[in-house]
Amino acid sequence: MITTSGLIETLLWGIANGCIYILLATGLNIIFGVMKLVNFAHGQLLMVGAFVAYEVTKIAGLNPYISILVAMASVALIGVALEMFAFRRIRGTDKLNEIFISLGLIYMFENVAALLWEQNYNIRIPSPLAGLSLSLGEVAIGYDRILAMFVVIVILIGLVLLTKKTKIGLAMKATSQKSDTAMLMGINIGKVYIFTFALGAALAGAAGALYGILFPFNPVIGALPTIKAFAIIILGGLGSIPGAVIGGLLYGIAENTAVYLLGGIWQDAIAFALLIGVLVIRPTGLFGEKGE
Amino acid sequence: MLGLLVIVIVVVAVAVAVWQMTPAPSAEAMNIKMGIVAGMKTVEGQDIERAAKLAIDEINNAGGIWVDEWHTKVNITFVLVDTVDDAAGSTAGPVTRAITDDQVDILIGGATTGGTLNGQIPAITNRVPFIIVGASLNLVTRRGNLPANNSLYINDTEGMSYMFHYCTTISDYSETVTHFLADSVKPKIDAENSFASSRKLRLAVIHRDDGYGRGVRDVTQSIITEDSLPIEVVGTAAYAASATTYQSQLISIKEAKPDVVYIAGFTADTAEIIKEGINDVGLKSLYIAVEICEDPQFYTLLGETGANQILESKVATQWQGSTWYLPKVGTYVENYKSKWSGKVPGMIGVDTYDAIYIYKNAVERAGTLNKTNVRTTLETTDMPQSLLIMENEKITFSTGTNYHEITPKTFIEQLIWDSASGALKPFVVYPDNMPGIDSFKQRDFVLPEDYEPGSP
Repeated sequence: MITTSGLIETLLWGIANGCIYILLATGLNIIFGVMKLVNFAHGQLLMVGAFVAYEVTKIAGLNPYISILVAMASVALIGVALEMFAFRRIRGTDKLNEIFISLGLIYMFENVAALLWEQNYNIRIPSPLAGLSLSLGEVAIGYDRILAMFVVIVILIGLVLLTKKTKIGLAMKATSQKSDTAMLMGINIGKVYIFTFALGAALAGAAGALYGILFPFNPVIGALPTIKAFAIIILGGLGSIPGAVIGGLLYGIAENTAVYLLGGIWQDAIAFALLIGVLVIRPTGLFGEKGE
Repeated sequence: MLGLLVIVIVVVAVAVAVWQMTPAPSAEAMNIKMGIVAGMKTVEGQDIERAAKLAIDEINNAGGIWVDEWHTKVNITFVLVDTVDDAAGSTAGPVTRAITDDQVDILIGGATTGGTLNGQIPAITNRVPFIIVGASLNLVTRRGNLPANNSLYINDTEGMSYMFHYCTTISDYSETVTHFLADSVKPKIDAENSFASSRKLRLAVIHRDDGYGRGVRDVTQSIITEDSLPIEVVGTAAYAASATTYQSQLISIKEAKPDVVYIAGFTADTAEIIKEGINDVGLKSLYIAVEICEDPQFYTLLGETGANQILESKVATQWQGSTWYLPKVGTYVENYKSKWSGKVPGMIGVDTYDAIYIYKNAVERAGTLNKTNVRTTLETTDMPQSLLIMENEKITFSTGTNYHEITPKTFIEQLIWDSASGALKPFVVYPDNMPGIDSFKQRDFVLPEDYEPGSP
């Protein structure tokens, strides 16, 4: 039975889920936009972020929303290590090298996580707001989801300020437009790349912490969010942050309403049909530019 | 007299000579290779492996299995057939390797329906006996009865005769669940909400969108109709096996205003559905999980949210009584915990443990490891019930419509939150008695504290 309240509730939940996709896709997009690097192990950074936040919440007794900051910092450090010791080594070589390194990283992350967190399958980060909902008549939405949306908005505002108002942000923009020219203008491309990868990883870490608060997770949870994040950045337009935001929201809403209106089996089919539909009409995605 | 003595001596001498001349394999070849089919990425697979090792060690420590044609006891060699996640695409390869490379004598295991329907094909083709301990969709031994245009149909009667199902089926437990709803839940809801007794109980089914989930949904409806139970299925919702969140399905179920939500899922998804339903969607209903969730992980994942929710089961490995309802179950649980650092056994390991003893019994009666002979003796199994409760207290495999299936009895537990230990504890609430067990029921069924019934 389809009702207005059920549909509104589904839309709200879709937006909340979409917020997590936005963070993941934005991180992936920043890395691609500046470094032209496709990291298939991006979802595994989300998984690591979830486990870091879980451990911090459990061991230090921190509020899970504070632990997002720890997850971001930790995953950013991992991002620095990945850029310096893996991707930098093969920069400028065949694209296949990038692809195979990132594919290899998927298994490394998953296996190490399985060793470390063998007993922690399908856990959630305990939240003091778990089970509490805001009721608006027939419509209810959990406070955790409302807070997750708020956190994502704050992070996105911070990201916009960083890219528009800071020196490193402008350097990232210059590098994304033409790296050779940026280098000739005195920009240290190496540092920009490290920062960019760390920033993208930090966003994945934040997405992971929020994911862990809202959904159960385990060491192999990263694969599906990665695919969805790729779908979102293609939908929104490669390299476009507004595209990732709109794409993430559309994707979250599409998959949730598909389940509500048509049934569970349509969840991914409708979301990817939306992607195909947009690409047929506008091959560069909603906000993409030619040449990307 | 002397002549008779000579004849006796000659006969005895010939008999001894024949006995001695029976070809016996080399010492190293004299072992039973037992392929344990388990997806080691899953909690069910890990439980299968642990239970199998426990049973095999017990048998080997007692000298092994008597093989008459070799006039000796033979040890079992454990061969892990790791099907990783036991998904449909993951099973046929490892099972084939176990048959062709390891040359296993028997296959035991198989948790999921999808995985087993694929994994059993090499065993059917190669005539290797396979005692399936999971896969509750009652198709794994009945594929020969399907219409020829059904994609699961197997046109190999002889090959199918090597398949044995030591597991409860979706019909077994859906019957228990629906009758529990009619006998215990409906009267309680009616009484506490002043509903007319003519009002039907409103049932919603949320299920995995696979053969198992759809099977539970359909068989539940069939039992309600056939048994004329006062239950109405007011909503169903399916979810993909890859789903990690179930909000939209739960919202649509909530719109149907059910009294009870029956979940056909696995351990992790069932726990998450209950948690999301109660905590996130506000569907404060009575949830019923099925026996695959009789696993410590389910209790842990569910936590306090599971207070007063329902678990259909076939073996109470976390029994709360002072004496075990079946002493053998108590011994199994203690030995399992002792061998595996205090780990509490799950449901599917119990089937595995029993299946290994069923095979031992079949080999000892066959007197050989010959797979065809063992298949025949497996079919004529007639053992006292072991860890599972059987209808007639005996383990037998039927040969009629319910081909190579057992006759298990299942029951209903209510999960009670124990704040002292911070854990859920199961107590039997249905039925009152079981074959060979008096006073089986431990307490009366109660509705959850903040339970909200469906529409009047």
